[in-house]
Amino acid sequence: MSVAAPAREQTRARYPDAEGYVERDGVRVSYEVYGDAPTTFLLFPTSPISHSRLWKAQIPYLSRYFRVITFDPRGNGKSDRPETPEAYSYWEYVQDGRDILEATGTETALLGGICDGGGWALMLAAIHPTAALGVAAIAPCVPRLTPTHPNHLRYPSDVPLDTDEGWAKCNVHYWRRDYRGFLEFFFSQQIPEPHSTKQIEDCVQWGLDGGPESLVLCDEEAPAPFATEEEARELMGRIRCPVLVVHGELDGCQTRERAAAVAELTGGTLVAFEGAGHLPQARHPVKVNELIREFGQSLERRTM
Amino acid sequence: MSALELAGARREQTRARYPDAKGYVERDGVRVFYEAYGDAPTTFLLFPTGPIAYSRLWKAQIPYLSRSFRVVVFDPRGNGRSDRPDTPEAYSRWEFAEDGRAILEAVGADTALLGGLCHGGGSALMLAATHPAVALGVFTIAPFIPMLTPEHLNYRMFPFDERLETDDGWAKWNHHYLHRDYRGFLEFFFSEQLREPHSTKQIEDCVEWGLEGSPDALIISRAAPPPWEGEEDARALCSRVRCPVLIVHGDLDGCQTRERAAAVAELTGGTLVTMEGTGHLPQARQPVKVNGLMREFAESIVPPKPKVKTWTRALSRPRRALYISSPIGLGHARRDVAIAKELRKLHPDLEIDWLAQDPVTRVLEAEGERIHPASAELANETTHIESESAEHDLHVFQAIRRMDEILVANFMLFLDLVREEPYDLWIGDEAWEVDYFLHENPELKSAAYVWLTDFVGWLPFEDGGEREAFVTADYNAEMIEHIARFPRIRDRAVFVGNPDDVVPDRFGKGLPRIRDWTEQHYDFAGYVTGFEPVTDREQLRAELEYASDEQVCVVTVGGSGVGEDLLRRVIDAFPETKERVPKLRMVVVAGPRIDPATLPSHGGLEVHAYVHDLYRHLAACDLAVVQGGLTTGMELTASRRPFLYFPLRHHFEQNFHVHHRLERYRAGRRMDFEVDGPDEIAAAIADEIGREVDYLPVETDGAARAAGLIGQLL
Repeated sequence: MSVAAPAREQTRARYPDAEGYVERDGVRVSYEVYGDAPTTFLLFPTSPISHSRLWKAQIPYLSRYFRVITFDPRGNGKSDRPETPEAYSYWEYVQDGRDILEATGTETALLGGICDGGGWALMLAAIHPTAALGVAAIAPCVPRLTPTHPNHLRYPSDVPLDTDEGWAKCNVHYWRRDYRGFLEFFFSQQIPEPHSTKQIEDCVQWGLDGGPESLVLCDEEAPAPFATEEEARELMGRIRCPVLVVHGELDGCQTRERAAAVAELTGGTLVAFEGAGHLPQARHPVKVNELIREFGQSLERRTM
Repeated sequence: MSALELAGARREQTRARYPDAKGYVERDGVRVFYEAYGDAPTTFLLFPTGPIAYSRLWKAQIPYLSRSFRVVVFDPRGNGRSDRPDTPEAYSRWEFAEDGRAILEAVGADTALLGGLCHGGGSALMLAATHPAVALGVFTIAPFIPMLTPEHLNYRMFPFDERLETDDGWAKWNHHYLHRDYRGFLEFFFSEQLREPHSTKQIEDCVEWGLEGSPDALIISRAAPPPWEGEEDARALCSRVRCPVLIVHGDLDGCQTRERAAAVAELTGGTLVTMEGTGHLPQARQPVKVNGLMREFAESIVPPKPKVKTWTRALSRPRRALYISSPIGLGHARRDVAIAKELRKLHPDLEIDWLAQDPVTRVLEAEGERIHPASAELANETTHIESESAEHDLHVFQAIRRMDEILVANFMLFLDLVREEPYDLWIGDEAWEVDYFLHENPELKSAAYVWLTDFVGWLPFEDGGEREAFVTADYNAEMIEHIARFPRIRDRAVFVGNPDDVVPDRFGKGLPRIRDWTEQHYDFAGYVTGFEPVTDREQLRAELEYASDEQVCVVTVGGSGVGEDLLRRVIDAFPETKERVPKLRMVVVAGPRIDPATLPSHGGLEVHAYVHDLYRHLAACDLAVVQGGLTTGMELTASRRPFLYFPLRHHFEQNFHVHHRLERYRAGRRMDFEVDGPDEIAAAIADEIGREVDYLPVETDGAARAAGLIGQLL
């Protein structure tokens, strides 16, 4: 997959005030910092299927109230594309977030994330409670916590199939054959709200900025972060900071059951979005921005 | 304070919420009275101010806050139900702070949110400074911390203890004047503190609360030993406050300076919220804003329990309307149901929820309408209105004014509801709280809004004198200013009637004519009866078992208990009427609130507690005797039946608005409860019964027209 052909990035509403890399075990991870407010809001990316631009509707707004830090995941954007499965373990992403906090001189931060990134933010809060003021997670993916969404179970993902129909596209052989075709299908499923062409095009482009190999390594070959449901539950139960979970009822990637389990185990609040899919931060940016700002500010005040 | 003065105090108006617990704490022989509301895990202790007022000053906050917190209020030494000690030491500022602490102990609260206004704001801060483990946060309005900054200029204009040659203005803040004319002082003082126009009710409340105390308590508390030596001590005290602090200050405050509020904010690291155009008592005059600030502040410190919330994408939302139907006068219920049915014809997908209370909900239930569960939490207006009535007498304007606490409480409930659940449209049929507070807080409007009414303009009675003329005009003026300044609030204003039904009077001295203004600002739906006109009266009489040769006289006073005196008087007229009208059959309907067994009986007189579909009896009768309410009068007019009507004394709507409308229709004979005894009633019944009438016809398409006007907004 060539990265040479991406469309020129569209004009941003806000450009970063600082950029940098953290490097660990030879893997460089790119981050961006917006604004200089006293409280930091670290927004995790998701898997290499996308990169930090997925927060584009949040950054300009939130950076007026918080110092917003975003980063590109291993395998996409301006971060490196390591070639071993171990480099794509969930725990590596968690540690990347932690390294970036340290690199930017941040002792405590609000954490945000979507899908895998929501899981990473929660994991960081669980293992470093002093670093996390609160976690806002959209459709968090915490593997094993609950059964995987049925969409991901319709076809085996690692053996050649005799069909490309629907969720059969979620297959490493198809990825390598027609990555764009997969991205177009996948994001159409994840943004099922009518009139979402621009959001789908954005996501496809961000996916193409990465490529199938990183996704194969991350989604298929990387070691699992926990072995059992009990481990996942135990980890969520360790979270002490306030948690906000947002979940769209039409989400085709993460189940409501999983979102509800995160809310229950962390003592958090669940905001259910009716008529919304997996990516409300893109499709319902005003409501999501308001929720995240309110959540962030409620915690900021409490720590004054 | 003499017993005589106390006895002169008016009966306390109906509260929106009554305490769940009350008690006294006693310190050094002084008993201090407190009340606790609700049982939420977090306590919010609201300090009173000095003896110039007492705990009722929080009346607009208690019902709302007690839904999220356990609210504890108390009366200060020197007012309300607390003792009136007679030594200055007993009024030290530290005593008030310690009273608060003793009350927290008495109610078993280890920690609490603290709130206070003026003097009480100072007490709350003093308690937070000296007992940091107790205070979770302090919400203060115009806090009075002595010596922190110079006193407000108003208090420095004249010496307090000397005899003065003048009583003008702030010369009233004087030992001798306080003794000479305490009410005069209170009226002046609170007019200066409630500087917002149209604050008559809030000023009257404060004067009333002040009169429950005494000039002596004010003078003696002013002579109390100072809590500290000077400015440095005051600053040090504020700096010791460790919990979050929020300070509200009105820029027109005539008691505490902005400088002082700002100093408290700076020294405590708190947030200062300046309210512009606002005086010293925003909790009374701007209750919706203050309630919101208090709850937000409290929840930032003690977050509400996590829960599952739902937000629905705009285009996934079903079309929904919230119908708020006033319970004052049951007549609204049927017309609102008729309008709702017509609206559904225009928009079959429309879901309608009702925010309503008894007795409206009885009609809605019978019609299978969906009553929003929040309705159960509404403070009851009907009970209040009944409590304001006397023998065939209901000063409805004053009754609505004295319902201000209930109106704020019910508006807050409405506000919480519409913030949680998106509606496309709010319809308020004489929903006074919704209309008034939306205009006072226009930023809260988040749906299309329709206002319906069948009268426009508060009108005074002569026996109310200049004061009543002034106050009704003041209410009208505020309404006119609201509409002029915020025309975007009412997307439709629908008058249930026709332009000729609007009274020709002025809104008051110097104000427009009601009819001119109403024609400019309303659409007219025509009258809405809410029932199909009876086409075959003979058939109906047969169904109701009224013989064709009987002369049926139905006597009814509607659903309230206010009408018992009229029922008794008409019953007294029965024997003579029966002599004059031998075929007479008199049917008295007592209604749900009057026990028929308590009424006198006569042979041949029927008394029923309730009759189903009363309007059918009214359509079938040969004469009706009723009060002066619009609904019954117009039902009889639409059915072309002769009737006698007795407007309630001091009920401006019945005496002026309804009377004007019935005259236009040439309908009914107006009677006067003052002068018309049994003889006059018997004579009038004999004259009128069975008479052919020449009433103007009543339209039958009013509900459809109203729905057409409303439906354009969907």
